[in-house]
Order: sequence, then C-alpha cells, then structure tokens
Amino acid sequence: MTTLDKDAFQPLEQTQGVHKLSRPSLSYWQDAWQRLRANRRAILSLYIIVGLLLFTFLGPLFWDVDPALQDVDQISQPPGADRSAYLVEDYLPWQGQAQPARGSGLTLAEPATTQAVRLVWAAQPGAAEYRVYRNIYPIGPERAFGLPLFETPAQQTFFEDRLDLKPRQYFYSVVVLDNRGQETDRWLSLTVDVKRVVTRSEAIERGLMDAAEEVPLGTEFKFALHPLGTDYLGRDMLARLMHGARISLFIGFFAPLLYILIGVIYGSTAGFVGGMTDQAMMRFADFVVALPFLLFMILFKVIFSISPGESGILPMLVAMIILLWPATARLVRGQILQIREEGYISAAQLLGAKTNYLVMRHMIPNTMGVILVTITFAVPGAIFTEAFLSFIGMGVAPPTPSWGSMCNEGRKTMLTTPHELIFPALFISVTVLAFNLLGDGLRDALDARMRNRD
Amino acid sequence: MSDPLLSISDLRVEFDTYGGIVQAVRGVSFDVQAGQTTAIVGESGCGKSVTVQSVMGLIPSPPGRITSGRAMLRGTNILGAKTINGQDIRGDQIGMIFQDPMTSLNPTMNIGSQIAETLIVHRGYGKSRAFQRAIELLEMSKIPEAEKRARQYPFEFSGGMLQRAMIAMAIACEPDILIADEPTTALDVTIQAQILDLLGDLQRERGMAIILITHDLGVVARMADEVLVMYAGQIVEQGSVDQIFYHSAHPYTLGLRAAMPTNDPSGSKRLSPIDGSPPDLFNPPPGCGYCPRCPQAMKICAGEPPPVIALDQGQSARCWLHHPDNPAAAKPNQAPTGQPGAMDE
Amino acid sequence: MLQYTVKRLILGIITVWFIATATFFGMHAVPGDPLTTDKALSPTIRKNLEEKYGLDKPLVTQYGIYLANLARGDFGISFTQENREVNDIIAEHFPVSATLGILAVIFAAVGGVLWGALTALYRNRLPDTIIMFLVILGISVPSFVVAALGQLSLVNLNQITGTSILPVGGWGTVWHMIVPSLVLGLSTMAYLTRLMRSSMLEIVNADFVRTAKAKGVPATQIFSRHQLRNAILPVITVLGPQIAIITTGGFVVEIIFAIPGLGRYFVQAVQQLDYTVIMGTTVFYGAFLVFMVILVDLIYGLIDPRVRLE
Repeated sequence: MTTLDKDAFQPLEQTQGVHKLSRPSLSYWQDAWQRLRANRRAILSLYIIVGLLLFTFLGPLFWDVDPALQDVDQISQPPGADRSAYLVEDYLPWQGQAQPARGSGLTLAEPATTQAVRLVWAAQPGAAEYRVYRNIYPIGPERAFGLPLFETPAQQTFFEDRLDLKPRQYFYSVVVLDNRGQETDRWLSLTVDVKRVVTRSEAIERGLMDAAEEVPLGTEFKFALHPLGTDYLGRDMLARLMHGARISLFIGFFAPLLYILIGVIYGSTAGFVGGMTDQAMMRFADFVVALPFLLFMILFKVIFSISPGESGILPMLVAMIILLWPATARLVRGQILQIREEGYISAAQLLGAKTNYLVMRHMIPNTMGVILVTITFAVPGAIFTEAFLSFIGMGVAPPTPSWGSMCNEGRKTMLTTPHELIFPALFISVTVLAFNLLGDGLRDALDARMRNRD
Repeated sequence: MSDPLLSISDLRVEFDTYGGIVQAVRGVSFDVQAGQTTAIVGESGCGKSVTVQSVMGLIPSPPGRITSGRAMLRGTNILGAKTINGQDIRGDQIGMIFQDPMTSLNPTMNIGSQIAETLIVHRGYGKSRAFQRAIELLEMSKIPEAEKRARQYPFEFSGGMLQRAMIAMAIACEPDILIADEPTTALDVTIQAQILDLLGDLQRERGMAIILITHDLGVVARMADEVLVMYAGQIVEQGSVDQIFYHSAHPYTLGLRAAMPTNDPSGSKRLSPIDGSPPDLFNPPPGCGYCPRCPQAMKICAGEPPPVIALDQGQSARCWLHHPDNPAAAKPNQAPTGQPGAMDE
Repeated sequence: MLQYTVKRLILGIITVWFIATATFFGMHAVPGDPLTTDKALSPTIRKNLEEKYGLDKPLVTQYGIYLANLARGDFGISFTQENREVNDIIAEHFPVSATLGILAVIFAAVGGVLWGALTALYRNRLPDTIIMFLVILGISVPSFVVAALGQLSLVNLNQITGTSILPVGGWGTVWHMIVPSLVLGLSTMAYLTRLMRSSMLEIVNADFVRTAKAKGVPATQIFSRHQLRNAILPVITVLGPQIAIITTGGFVVEIIFAIPGLGRYFVQAVQQLDYTVIMGTTVFYGAFLVFMVILVDLIYGLIDPRVRLE
C-alpha cells in the first residue's frame, strides 16, 4: 500500500461541505408540462386536435362548397373517380331498328353511355319471351343475374336500358323464357363498360359550355371536383365533413364545458357547506346518475320534439347537461372533502389564512388537474353521444350534416360505396382517439404520484 | 468464529428511475451467524431494505438490477437464483416479515389459508393439515382464539395481530434465517415491545438467525448481537452491539447516537440532529458519502472513497480517520454511556 | 350481507320510481296532448287509452293510475298497434336483446380480464404494445361503426370465399349471434382490458404479492390466487355501468344486423312517437339496468370479504 500524503488528512474547510441539490426544483404545472411534452403520443394527439380545429374553421375558407348542394351527375362518387364526360346529342328515342344483331350473341347496338345502353341479340329458337337482367357483379356459376329490367316478346330482340346508369362496368344477361313464362337454362350475357356522357342541353345547363358556343360532339368535359367523393345525394363529402365537424366539435366542447362547470359548482358547494345540505344534494345527484343515460337522451329528444327546420343541436346540448353533471359533482365534492382534511390546509388556517385565500391558493389549484383530465375525457364522450344519437336518427335533423348522421346515411350504401361510411367514421375515430390519448397523457402528467414512478 | 450461515459479498444494486439510475446498494458485504441477530441500521433510503430484498429475490426487475455480488447460503450462491435443487429457499430456509402488516397480507384471503399456503408449497401438506398447522402457528405467535382467527380476513385484525400472523407465516417452515424488515415501525410502541419479545422467544426456541432491519437504535440495542450501520448504500461501520454503542468508530454512528434521546434525569442535554441530507444516489459523490455532513471531514474525504479499515475484535469502519497513514489516527472516541431509544428520522 | 342486499334493493326500487316519475312527467311535458297531436289515432285505440289512463282526469290522478299500473307490472297499450300490450312487446323482443347482451358481456368480461392480465405481465414488451394499441382503437371507434364495418367485412368475406361462412344479419341460430355479440362487446372489452391492466400493474407491486414471493409461492400460483382475484375487483365495479352501455349499444347492433330485439323496437317506437311503448320500454330498461348494477355489486361482495362481512 502506498503511503498517503499527510496533507490529505488536514481538516476540510466547511465551505466545501455544503450539500447542494443537484436537480432544479419545478412547480407543479412546469413539472406536468415537462412530462406531457415527453409523452410523444399526447403531443401527436395535440397536433391532431389543432389540425382538426383548422380543418373545421379554416377549411371552409379554402374549400368553399355548399354542403347541401347536390351534384346530380356525380352521385355516390368515390374519391378519385373519373370526372370526365363526353358531349353527345340530346336523347332521341330508339326503336331497335339501327342495326341487326351480329352473330348469335348479345351485342351493343351503339357504344354504351350513361344516357342509354342499347342491347340487341339474335333471336333464340323456341323463345316465347326474353328477360333482361343487369348486375354490378360478375354473374358467376350460380347465375346471379342481378336486377331484372324488362321482359320482351319473342319478336323484340332489342332492349334499351336507361335506368340510373353510372359510369362503371355492368353485366347484362338475357334469359330465354318458355311458353309458361318460366326461365329456361339458355341465356346470353355481355359485359359493358358505360361511359359518362353529357348532352348539349345538359352541358349548357351545368355551365360547362355557352349556348352560343359550337363544341364538337365527343368533346371531353370535366365535372366538378369532389376530393373525398360525394354521398348518395351527390353532396360533396369534404364540405359535409367540414360542416359536420362543427356540430361534433360544438357538442364535444360545449356540452362537457357546461356540465362540468355545473358539476364543479354543485359539488364544491356541497363539499363546502357539508352537513345535511351536502347529504341531500348528493342523494339527488345519486338519482340522476342512476338514470340510464342514452335512454333519457332519447326521451329528452322526444320531449323537446324539434319542429321542422331546427337542427336539434340545442335539445341535445340541454339534455346532456341535465344528465351528465352529477359525475363531476361527485368527483369535485370528494376532492374538496379530501383537501379540506389535508395537513397543509390546517397549517394555512393556523397561520391565519382566510377562506378566500384557501379556496384560491389551495382548493382550486389542487382540483384543477382532476377537472382538466375530466374535461379531456368528457370531450370524446360527448362526440360519441352525438354520433350515436344522430346515427339512430335521434340527433341532429337532416339536412344538417354531422359525423354521426353521415355515418347513418353512409351505412345504407356501404356495400356499394363504402367511402360514404368510412370517411365520417374515420373522423369520429381519429378525433376520439386523439382526445383519449391526450387525456391519458394529461392524467399521467398531472398525477403527482407518477413523479416517482417509471 | 464458525462458518457463517449466510455470507454476502460485494452486493451492488441499481434502479432505473424517472430521474436516472439510482445506485441503491454500492458494494455491501457481511456475514450472518447461525442463531444470532444481525441488525442493519440506517436512515430511510440508505439501502438496507434493498440489501435484504435482493437476497430474497424481491427486487422488482425492471426497474431494479443486481449488478454484482454473491450471497452464499451454506456454500451455495442464492443471489439471483430462484430455486436451489428445484426448491425455493424463500419461505423455506429464509422467512421474511415486512414493515406494514396491513398491506402485506392478501385482503381477499383468510389468514389461516395464507399461512397454510407456505406449508402446501414447501412441505406438500394437504389443505386441511396445513390449515391445522396454521392454527398451531398462530397459537405459537400468541394470537388468542387462533381457531377462530384463522378463518378471519386481514381487515378484521389489528396491526399488531397482523404482524404476529406474519411472523407465524414466516416461521411456518422453520427457517434458519428470519429477515425482519422494520417489523415494528408501523406499530404502536406498546405493541412493538410485544412483537420484539415474540421474535426473541422464537429465536431462542428455534435457534434461528435473525436479520433485523431498523432505523430504531432502541430496537438494535434490545435485539442485536451484530450491528451493521449503513449509509448511502454502503456499510460504514460494523461490529458487535457493544462496540457500536460504546466504541463507535465512524462519525456517522457517533452522529446517530448523538441524535438519540436519552433519559438523562438532568434533562439539560439537547438532541443534536445530523445537519444536511444523504447524498443523491443518482450521482454518488467521488469521496465519502458522509463527507458533506461530517464534522471531522478531511481533505481526502471529499475526493477519495474511504476503504474499509479493520479495527479491534471484528469491528470495522469505512472511514479515513482510522487509516494507518492518518497522523491523527487514534482510538475512536469513547462514547458517553447512554440509554438507547428511538432515533428520530 | 342480507341487510346490505335489502338496503340496496329498497334503494333500487326508489330509483326505479324516480325513473318512472321522470319519464311520466317528461312525456306529459310534451307540448300539447300526446293523444291529439299529429297522429290520427284509430277510435279503438283512443277509447282503450282513455279508459286505461283516465286522460280526462287531472294529471295527478293520471300519475296515480300510471304508478298503480306499473306496480302491477302493467306497462300499458301501444299507440300505434291496435290492442298490442307493451308487456307483450317486451316479452317477445326482450329475450332476444338479453341473449345478445349476455353474450356480449361474457365476451367483454372474459376477454378484458385475460387481455388485461396478459398485457400487465408483458408490460412494455411487444404483446403489450400491440394489444394496447388495439385497445385504444377499440375505445375510439364507435360501436355503430364497428358494427357496420363488421357487417361489411362479413359480406366481403362471404363474397370472396363464395360461401356463406356466417349470416350477415337476422336472428335464430347460434351462428347469427356470433358477430353481433362480438361487435357489441368489443368496446367494453377494450375498456375492461385497460382497467384490468392498470389494476394488475398496481397489484404486481403490491406488498402482499411481495409477501407471497417471500413465502416462495410459485409465480403461477401467485398470479391465480393473489393477483387475479384482487386485480379483478375494480373491473367488477365498472361492470354495472358497462352493462348499461352494452344494452344501449345493442340498439344500433340490432338495427344494423336486423335483429328483432327490444332495442330496435324501442328506436322504431321513438321514431313513430309511440308514447306508451317509449315510456314502457324506458322504465323497463331503467329498472333492468338499476337491478343489474345491484346484482353486480352483490357479486362484488361475494369476492371481496371487506364488503361481505360489513
């Protein structure tokens, strides 16, 4: 062992020995904010919510389309669909005389357009009648012919389809019927790609061309752009989503804000006053809590029985406020009672703090965190409720768009055009997700017990 | 001295926390002799509980981590090993009781079944036989009406009764070592004495070794044979109970003793607390952890960690004051005779 | 325990009375006489109703008649269907809703407890991350969207495979029940998973689990005897309110999957303003939910000795 320097054993000057805190101290809110910032999911959610607000309030400035306007040329258009239409002559009746059928099969007399699909076929031996079918799916071995369109007598071997034609692929079939009108196993089929056309008069009416203009037939026009497609009435999905967001966010923000405010006032009053008043107030709150929420929401809607022309938002708001305040009231009362028993309140009282000071300095800051978290979780709840009620037709009245009512409408066409359901559903889900994640982050950040965990 | 029953060497434990890595235990070594009581004493957060919990494999991992060390029980290293020869030594060869009996028992299971569980696991008893034995154990722990009590749930027991039940559970398999982690801290003073008496009686009857963790020097004086003083994750002084109380070698031990209330009839002596607080174990100081609070600190203390220096008759201290190179190295201060009492944390 | 049960039942009856009263005065607050507004009632129905409810008498008398009828378990007669009693409607349609609901609750509770326990044990590892992501998704997607998308994917699945794997709607066989009850229980399962996970995480570090470890109890036994039983308690406390959510969620699932349950009937009645059916089903559902909550609380008492013995 090496010998140590004797000087090292001289007494230490006391200045060096003062204990220093190696970490800076943080206030409650600073600490909470730091921890929230460290939570990547919560911050991402915050961005999503800000983006959503921009979409709702600034969006209509950039996408100035009336959400109620119906584009009859583009009904149930998925996003990114072909918007082109070719100019054709105005409709002229057709007697099947244009062309005889070529060969033995089913053929088109003219190119298929959204104006008309003109089919001709060769006469089939032994046919008493023909039945014409149209399907949007391939017919397949199980002979799913689809929609029966018409029955023609034996001598008529042509058919003109003008029924709600869309620019898409159709599967036509002609089935031979016997003397008793029963289908035989002989049938012809044809796959047809229908092109969208617009007649001269329609083009003028839609403002695609001037009446005076000489535009050659076959000129391609572009219909109005719908970035997210259109719904079953031809209304622009993007515009409707923006306007629907207003309803959803209005309910989502205001209902919680108001009922939590009422709950806070009610609960803190009960907590402060205490005694019999507190008991009576809380028993009443217990009964309101026991009311089955959605049933009573529906009941309220019936009671308020909105007259035509009203959107039905206000009754929904009122009903939510009436039914939802007790949970917050209970929570806040519990907090107040708990804080009242805390040592630091007694300490402050001993030091001569007045009630006002106690409320402002201790009670409010210590309940703020809980209330903030409650609000964050109440927002998705309110959005859900609005969507649910609108979905079962008990929410906002048509034509006011809301995400819930859009889902309801979209559900009816979901098998053919799922985008009408998926977009509003996506908006609801992402919004609710963002608020849930933010709520989680806030709760973790504000929970003082979490400081020493993880 | 005979071979130790349990020998712990160079134990180091770290925890990952929100603020960084805490080095909770920094190289702890000690021996436990059969039939003796070894007390580990120190203030909150000094690593005394972590030391015994690592031996028992109770360190939650993550965030906890045993980075080095060995714990030889009769020549077999049990540190980090769940079982030895397929047998869990926990509850069998080492029993343990905890600080807060109110939360340390399963609230939804009756007391008898919780004691019986140990016997079912280690002795392969049947349910009813184990339960019968549990009642006997409760009687041994001096719980009245044991038959009825065994069928009750923890919330129906008082704190002292629960701690007796915990002891009954810990001794069910007649372990060689009983670890008592602050067994009396959560209890009333009158109950404390009863629990300590019970532990003492059981030890005499069965020849168990007891590792007693406490911050109460009164408890140490009453129960211990050997004493380890821990500070900032290290053992700073080690010796027999007499050596620690009457020939304290480390300034920290002296500080602890000075902070102890006495029943000096003159009543003029004030308690002298130790100023400051223990070092931040996120970032242990390079030198002696006690240096900033030490009234006898020297230049070397701030920069160089002190080695363990052996003193007379098995006593040792981790302090530069006793280093042979220290010109002032002298016999440790003779302590004034004082009655042990509770140490104020 | 008996005293507790009786107390809870009495409170429950008072709550049902409160619901009935709120419903009655709520419906009578509808502007105008519900019988004379827009709907032209057939003379038979009108006569029946007047006899039954004493509509010419003052409101308080009507309330008395209403309560007396309710006390006998008589919910009244339909407005829109001649001579159809609300009791008959409930008797016919409620069993369907109840079957659907019970399946959904079982699925949600079993799934929630299992997934929650699993994620807690695999905390912050891959299975936990994946399941918790799905859980957040499950909580954030409304039940009607899940139901609609569930049906849509079922249709597509049947189409792709060319066979009918499971029916896309209707009711009758076990096969009809699978998808609707899964869809209905999904969000509750997600919620319970989350709850179970955090409850398990708290229990994992509980003192009594440490005691069990110190006793040398094997990990599987610690899990089944000590952790699960205690961690499940908070899950049970929320089961009552969750049953309410599943019940009302059943409305949309019944509509979408064309299931002839009471929920679908209730929504129809609301749309047709069939006042007696609305009142009857509301009170019935209200009473049902109140007693489900009581039942759940009593089950809680069986598991937690602290409640049972006090």
